[in-house]
Amino acid sequence: MAYCVNCGVKLEETLTKCPLCNTPVYHPQEEKTERKVPPYPSERGTVEKVKRTDLAILLIVLFGSTAVGCGLLNLFVYKGSLWSLYVIGACLVFLVFSIPIMVYRKLPYILMVLIDGCAVLFYLALVAWVNHGMDWYVQIAVPVILLGTVLVAVLLYVYQHVSRSILFTAMVVVIEMAVFCAGIDLSVYYYLYEKFCLTWSAAVVVCAAIIAVSLITVMRISRLREEVRRRMHI
Amino acid sequence: MNNRNQWLKLDLSGNVYPTLQRKSFSSVFRVSVTLKEKVDPQILQKAYEKTLPRFPSLKVALRKGLFWRYLEPNKNPVPQVERDVKNPCMPMDFKTKHRYLIRLYYYECQISFEVFHSLADGLGAVTFLKTLTAVYLRMRGVKIPDEEGILSVEEEPKREELEDSYMKYANSKVTPKRSQGSAYRVRGTKEPFYTLNIISGSMSVSDLKTASKKYGVTITEYLNAVLVYALIENQKRSKVWREKPVRIAMPVNLRQFFPSKTLRNFITMIYPGVDPRMGEYSFEEILKEIHYYMRYHINEKFLNADITTNAKTLQSPLIRIVPLCIKDIVVKQFYKHVQDCQSSAGLTNPGIIKVPAEMEPYLERFDVLMGQPFSARTNCAIVSYNGLTTINFASSIVENDIERVFFRKLVEEGVAVTIQSNRD
Repeated sequence: MAYCVNCGVKLEETLTKCPLCNTPVYHPQEEKTERKVPPYPSERGTVEKVKRTDLAILLIVLFGSTAVGCGLLNLFVYKGSLWSLYVIGACLVFLVFSIPIMVYRKLPYILMVLIDGCAVLFYLALVAWVNHGMDWYVQIAVPVILLGTVLVAVLLYVYQHVSRSILFTAMVVVIEMAVFCAGIDLSVYYYLYEKFCLTWSAAVVVCAAIIAVSLITVMRISRLREEVRRRMHI
Repeated sequence: MNNRNQWLKLDLSGNVYPTLQRKSFSSVFRVSVTLKEKVDPQILQKAYEKTLPRFPSLKVALRKGLFWRYLEPNKNPVPQVERDVKNPCMPMDFKTKHRYLIRLYYYECQISFEVFHSLADGLGAVTFLKTLTAVYLRMRGVKIPDEEGILSVEEEPKREELEDSYMKYANSKVTPKRSQGSAYRVRGTKEPFYTLNIISGSMSVSDLKTASKKYGVTITEYLNAVLVYALIENQKRSKVWREKPVRIAMPVNLRQFFPSKTLRNFITMIYPGVDPRMGEYSFEEILKEIHYYMRYHINEKFLNADITTNAKTLQSPLIRIVPLCIKDIVVKQFYKHVQDCQSSAGLTNPGIIKVPAEMEPYLERFDVLMGQPFSARTNCAIVSYNGLTTINFASSIVENDIERVFFRKLVEEGVAVTIQSNRD
């Protein structure tokens, strides 16, 4: 049994240093005898993971049966139009969105976002096919959805790997919103007049640029950053 | 209780803890008893299976309703006792382990019981642990009577043990305001996912009595003052931009003031502390402040008003019709930005644990661990048994400055402290 020379506390026999000040235990007269059992175990515990497979099965059954039911109704009872394709498509999109979250949770999030983007594209393709509107699908829907998917993936990447600061994330969101608006504007203009031109989105881009420059300034000057943090804390 | 299928509403405190649940945090605390001989896990399992049905408020699963969570009897087999781990009070998912919200560990001579705070407070957990230990020792041939808080496992559970005493006794006509203002918060480096650092100091009750008598205060007031002193020193050293009051969140057992027999939660918080912005406080001045604060606030009237504030909120028809998902968001934000900010550390003192004389030769000590703090800070739990007081600090930060100043101050005051820790 030793005492810590700094803290004056008696140290439990198995301690090799004082837990309060990290001073090593040294007792010149104490003989090394057999190892004593420490008062705390050395193995670390782990938390059991929740199994969400049951919920996934329930969802598959629920949406699967909804899709099949609507398909059968459309085939044999309400035959007027192909309305069931909207329901079937929506069920598929929902399943594609929810199943990876519940079952394949270790799937890279960028892959999840890309799969979700593809699902939305597929659904819109179905809608376009039913309404004979492949032109707007190819010229507006595809570029806008692809751009949106890429922007969400970039935002997630930046949040996970670059910085989690609120100011930095806000700046990325503002820039991405400007790019997204410009993308919508360009594709709609091209669809209508067959040439690329910025119209209303030019104002959005300018506003976003002003906000982004202000945010960069705040981020770079620590005094300003502290001031904003102080005044804006929640 | 005749109807074993009866579901239970969560009590007033119990409603808050599940909303704070996140992947890396659960409101779990631990009570332990150290025996004088090695624990036999097989006998302990049998004792556990015999004892748990006597405590229906612990043999439950937490379920979600549309507006509130509730507890329903858990009919799954009694969970297995486990070998203890280095990182106690790990987060507890509501859906794993057959939905049980309790854990029982053994390690060498120690039996440790962990419970999710929605099910019980310190007294409920200690009553269970004492009863379990008595059943275990009886299975080893020791004759122990059902007294000093040990419940008879042959008896049916009583209705009053399951009551929500808050609703029964909260009847004040005035309700004090809830927020105390923000307090100094310890800043520290967070440890990796679910690491819990424990530093435990043990000392003789008589040493503490001598030290506290010197100032004419109780042991709880004295230890509170030492903790406040450690926090003030830490605030001074960390050179904060603006000093803040140093306050301690301290649960008070309401059973001392209301004739309740409940084994569920029946505590409320008081916040003793000092404001260093008013000037430098000597240790004697801190003691005086804590002493008068506690004398002024710990009485039936004040505590009744305090629990009435919370009870009124819960009874408000407007709040009752709000869906649970929205309540969760609001309560969590309130706790994060108001409740958690108004104290610098937590301190609990369940007091002296008494057991029947026949049991005493077999028990070495009791420990209480407050579990992982919600924010980066340290929590302190004090318990006394058979002339020995143990003070357990639990924190999820790397720094141990508070603990160091606290124990050094005790040594300075002439209290002999023995330290043990799970830190590497």
